[in-house]
Amino acid sequence: MFKKNLVAFATLVLFTTSANAQNRYFTKTGTIQFYSKASLEDIEAKNKTVTAVLDSKTGALQFSVQMKGFEFEKALMQEHFNENYVESGKFPKAEFKGSVVNNSAVNYAMDGTYNVTVKGKMTIHGVTKDVEAPGTIKVDGGKLEGKSTFNIQLSDYKISIPSVVKDKISNSIKITVDTKLEPLKS
Amino acid sequence: MFGILILIVAAGSVGYYMYSKKVQNYAEGEPDISISAKELVEAFDKDTASAVKRFMDKKIRVTGTIKSLDSSAVVLSEEGIASSVVVGLDERNKKSITQLKVGEAATLQGKFSGYDKSSGDPQDMLASLGTTVNIDYAGVVSKK
Repeated sequence: MFKKNLVAFATLVLFTTSANAQNRYFTKTGTIQFYSKASLEDIEAKNKTVTAVLDSKTGALQFSVQMKGFEFEKALMQEHFNENYVESGKFPKAEFKGSVVNNSAVNYAMDGTYNVTVKGKMTIHGVTKDVEAPGTIKVDGGKLEGKSTFNIQLSDYKISIPSVVKDKISNSIKITVDTKLEPLKS
Repeated sequence: MFGILILIVAAGSVGYYMYSKKVQNYAEGEPDISISAKELVEAFDKDTASAVKRFMDKKIRVTGTIKSLDSSAVVLSEEGIASSVVVGLDERNKKSITQLKVGEAATLQGKFSGYDKSSGDPQDMLASLGTTVNIDYAGVVSKK
C-alpha cells in the first residue's frame, strides 16, 4: 500500500515537474531590427543574438538585447549609435518585461497563428516606458515563433539627436521583432 | 585656381570615404583574445567587472561545441549546461554558417558585445538560461 502510494506520488511529482518545465519557451538567437527613414540615408541595424523567454501558462514575457550587438553596415553610423545616441557603454542593455495580454486566446497545444497584444515595460538608454504592441504567436509542432512590429519615439527614451541633423533623422523608429522559441528543458 | 579645385575634390573624397567606410570585418585577421566558450562563460561567472574590462569591444576567437544554430547565429555550450556563448554572424559572413553542424566543434571570431547573468531576482525569467555571453559581427574561422 505504502509502496503503491510512493509510486503514485513519484509519478505525480515527475509529471508536474515536467509539465512546469514545458511552460517555458526560450531563444538566445532572436532578431530585432530597427529602421528609420532619413532624408540623407535610411538608418537600419539588426541584432541577431536577442534573448527571450515566454511562459505559456501565465503569458509572462521577457527580452534582453545587447546594444553593442546591433549590426550596422557603416562604421560611422555604428559609432554614432553607440557613442552619441544610445550611449551603450553606459547603458549596455535594452530590456522588456511584460506579458501577452490575451494569453488565453493562444492554444499552445494546437498549431496555428494567433494574434496577440503584448504589454509591459521597456527600458532603453536607462529610461523605462510602458509599451503596448500587436504581434503574432505561431505554434508549430511544439515550437513557437513570436513576431511583432511597432514604433518607438526616440524622445521617450531621452535619446537626443544633434540639432545639425535633427531635420534629417526621424524621431519615430520602427522596430521589428522575430523570435523562434524552443521549449526550455530544465 | 586649379589648386583650390584639387583641394575641394580631395576634401570631398576624404569626407565621402569617412562617411561610407564599412564596419571592419571582425572575422578577418588575428584576434585580440583566443578562448574556449567554457572559459569565456567562466570569466563572467567569476568576476563580471573584470571580465567586461578584459573583453569589451575586443576581437574574440572562440571555440566550443555547437548546441544550436539558425540562419544567422550560433549557440556554443557544453552538454546539459544552460550557460552559453551566443555568436551572431555578420551579413558578409553569413554564408559560412552552412558548413556548421549541431554537436560539432566550431571556431568563430567576432566582437564582444555584452553579457546576461542571473540577477538572483526570482521574478527574472532569464535566470533559468544561465550566463549568456554575446559576440556579434562574427564569422566562421576557416579550418586550417
